[in-house]
Amino acid sequence: MFNLRVGVATVAALAALAACGGTEQAADKPAADGPRVLKLWHYEGADSAMGKAWAEAVKQFEATHPNVTVKFEEKAFEQIRQSAGMILNSDEAPDVMEYNKGNATAGLLSKQGLLTDLTPEVTKRGWDKLLSPSIQTTARYDERGVMGAGKWYGVPNYAEYVMVYYNKDAFKKAGVEVPTTYEEFTAALDTFVKAGTTPIAVGGAEYPAQQIFYQLALSKAQRSWVDAFQLYKGKVDFKGPEFRYAADTFADWVKKGYIDKDSAAIKAEDMGVSFIGGKYPILVSGSWWYGRLVSDVKDFEWGSFLWPGNTMSAGSSGNVWVVPENAKNKDLAYDFIDITMKKDIQNLLGNSGGIPVAADTAAITDEKSKELIENFNTLSASDGLAFYPDWPAPGYYDVLVAGVQNLINGTKTPDAVLDEIAAPYQENLADIGN
Amino acid sequence: MPRSRDRGYLVFLLPSAVLFTAVIVVPFLMNVGIGFTRWQGIGDPRWIGLENYTRLLADERFWSSFRNNVALIVAMAIVPTLIGLVLAATLFDYVGKKVGPRAAGVLRAAYYLPQVLPVAVAGIVWGWIMHPRFGALNELLGLLGMEPRNWLGDPDWALPSVMVIMVWFQIGYPVVIFMSGLQRVDPALYEAAEMDGASWWRRFWHITIPQIRPEIYVVLLTCTIAALKVFGPIFVLTRGGPGGATLVPSYFSYQNFFEKANVGYGAAIATVLTLVIIAVTVFFLRVQDRES
Amino acid sequence: MIRKYSVLVSLVVLAVVMLVPFAIVTLNAVKSPADYSSGGPLSLPSELYLDGIVDFWNRVDFGGKLWNSLLISGSVAVLATVLSVLNAYALGIGRVRGRVWILVVFLVANTLPQEALVYPLYYLAKQVGLYDTRLGVIIIFTVIQSAFGTYLLSSVLGRFPHEILEAAALDGAGRWRTLWRIVVPISRPTLSVLLVFFFIWTWNEFFLPLVFLISNENQTVPVALGVLQGDKMMDATMSSASALLGILPAVVFFLIFQRTLTRGVTVGAVK
Repeated sequence: MFNLRVGVATVAALAALAACGGTEQAADKPAADGPRVLKLWHYEGADSAMGKAWAEAVKQFEATHPNVTVKFEEKAFEQIRQSAGMILNSDEAPDVMEYNKGNATAGLLSKQGLLTDLTPEVTKRGWDKLLSPSIQTTARYDERGVMGAGKWYGVPNYAEYVMVYYNKDAFKKAGVEVPTTYEEFTAALDTFVKAGTTPIAVGGAEYPAQQIFYQLALSKAQRSWVDAFQLYKGKVDFKGPEFRYAADTFADWVKKGYIDKDSAAIKAEDMGVSFIGGKYPILVSGSWWYGRLVSDVKDFEWGSFLWPGNTMSAGSSGNVWVVPENAKNKDLAYDFIDITMKKDIQNLLGNSGGIPVAADTAAITDEKSKELIENFNTLSASDGLAFYPDWPAPGYYDVLVAGVQNLINGTKTPDAVLDEIAAPYQENLADIGN
Repeated sequence: MPRSRDRGYLVFLLPSAVLFTAVIVVPFLMNVGIGFTRWQGIGDPRWIGLENYTRLLADERFWSSFRNNVALIVAMAIVPTLIGLVLAATLFDYVGKKVGPRAAGVLRAAYYLPQVLPVAVAGIVWGWIMHPRFGALNELLGLLGMEPRNWLGDPDWALPSVMVIMVWFQIGYPVVIFMSGLQRVDPALYEAAEMDGASWWRRFWHITIPQIRPEIYVVLLTCTIAALKVFGPIFVLTRGGPGGATLVPSYFSYQNFFEKANVGYGAAIATVLTLVIIAVTVFFLRVQDRES
Repeated sequence: MIRKYSVLVSLVVLAVVMLVPFAIVTLNAVKSPADYSSGGPLSLPSELYLDGIVDFWNRVDFGGKLWNSLLISGSVAVLATVLSVLNAYALGIGRVRGRVWILVVFLVANTLPQEALVYPLYYLAKQVGLYDTRLGVIIIFTVIQSAFGTYLLSSVLGRFPHEILEAAALDGAGRWRTLWRIVVPISRPTLSVLLVFFFIWTWNEFFLPLVFLISNENQTVPVALGVLQGDKMMDATMSSASALLGILPAVVFFLIFQRTLTRGVTVGAVK
């Protein structure tokens, strides 16, 4: 008796729920002929330079492809970061999506066969002519998933780099000029300390602190060292002059008061907010802050300069467009990418606060954007893009955060910290290609 | 006789048993299997036997993560249970009777609300409160003449700070469960005791606690399990830092699963963690069953 | 007199302390980004700024996300409670042999760290076509939550007064009838607790939905909130605004069910 009742109720309930599940599946089946859908994913905010440029690209795409609708979904970065492999390995993969550049991300997916080899399209459409060699590094990956050479798996639209933002009013008040050499830089920092201010806003809980660490290492490094560290083209001695200098100097800077000894738990967001609020005169971080500063800094004049004395700075191409191997409309995906590489879209990106990779420099009208982009071009032209310190090994980001936190807190000697960050890198090196 | 009686009741367990096998048992066994391989999540896993486990035993981070966990068990199970008991009894017995049940309900809602806030947001807000320079906590301490500290950034203070935040987070859960348990208590028991002149404390100790023993066990065990599994708050507050001072096994396995794509190693850590939790659970349940 | 008020006052002070973070979230939810950047997160807003909330609602189709969360959390709450009742009846009242071990096995559902389940469940779900469906997520959470429900309820039912059961048996009631006519009504306070907890816990789940719900139309509120946390940038005022929007349903649900929590039938009254 009870079997029947329970059984019917359960079946009814499950059937109702299955109906929900069912319709979700059916909706995604693409039609064979007739109207098509281009599934596009990215995770840049609508107000950002990329968001604006890509929205325009969508418009142009739909205008030139009358029987195609673009189904755009804004994704959470966290979701893509965690689940990209799983998503691309299923039927839910989009046709074209933004993805992070680097061995641990695009490299890994390409190695697993989840990304389409774009090399034929690249040569056919001439995208390689538009991109400088240092930008191309993050677009191409070999069979081990290491960037630099090999097949094209991604197409970058924009670039980024790390620089020194500064509060012009605070500088004027302290009588400090924009430094052009490293000595002038430290002298400026000293001036601020003497006047009672900690000069540099730092976020020790996230990426900013390790980027300062990296900039210090780069001040003593050659291109070959960067190639060895990032592209595994040679051996890296963690106790060699570059990293040793970085660790010693970083600890020294904390001691001298250039960097807050309490900054180990500060998040990047709070670091930025404190600069915008005028609490620190200097912010060392990337071009991704640029748009935010433009809109949010109301109380003072600000500007930026390249890290003084360095020929290389952290930086690279921005995130890349990838076409999943399981994509259903690859031809449409290529057309879309092509539109984003056109001059008018690139110029729009540049004029909206981003750094384009293939724009017409004469078409950039905004003064501040000009400065931003020119600094980048200087860096890129001299092959000065050194990528980011956490790229060489998966999970290396956490290792560096922990290591630099130890420097900030003084809980470990620079020597011990170098050992600490060397181990996972070497472990990973042994795994490359496996 | 007992066997046929059992069979009648076993039927009730059937729906769960089926779902459970599919959703938990099979994946768990798969996880154990993955622990014996080297795998990046996509593609083919490679069998390496016990290598992950030997690596685990030698890994200092693994052991310190369990040590940190013990501190969190205190913060998430023991302290909230004690505080929760007192609060629940006070709300139910004292406030409910002397002020009104609505007041008790409002206070209970206030204590429970932290559990409703998404962990990600709670983490951001606590980060603001505990900011070493501009945080509300240090400002308050300054007003009271006490020294400001780097709560979440100082390796000595990070774990205690996280513990305090977890107590804030957890208190509401025991309060709600205990209060629902107190509904079951026959009010006649309390009235008789009060007429005999028993103080609040004696009523608490001799009536309240024994009556809601089942709930106390449940709260202690589930909070301990939650402490052993804790992940979200660590992720948003400290990411296991500074320098690993707040690393816990669940976060450690997550790092391996999703950040390093060392799925085999992560699975091994998760398996060990699960076995520890199962051992604790069995012990607890045995004790509980003997009591009832 | 003083004693009564001192107890009450300390309880209220504690309640206020517990709610301080909520106050901060609310502050920032109605703060304009400019205010936030210049004044910091703990400052008072200079004016009420509601654009952030409106923008966010439209940007992520919050209405749709709310519906998904409601559907999933509600289904799980009900289904998991039903499963818990069935299990706890067998374990707590039926006292089947090996009940400790059965309970352990069920509790494993709750003890397994979620990251351990993800890869296997992903492959299994793909096989049966439940990847990126709300039904798949509902099934998974029903199982996980019912483990807790089984434990709590069977502990409580383990002390169910025998006289009542015997009286029912004497009246000729079978196991099924006894369950629904007698045990369930008496257990209402505990069942209400389960419903509330399951709803809230499932509502706030982030990790598994993040992995399993890919298409934007299937996503839940916490996953939608994740949109605001980018690679390097975070939108703090919008996060606060959306957090408020996100927790309101859970809070409302809790407040509604509060009333049933205070009602409920005591054992003594039934006698």
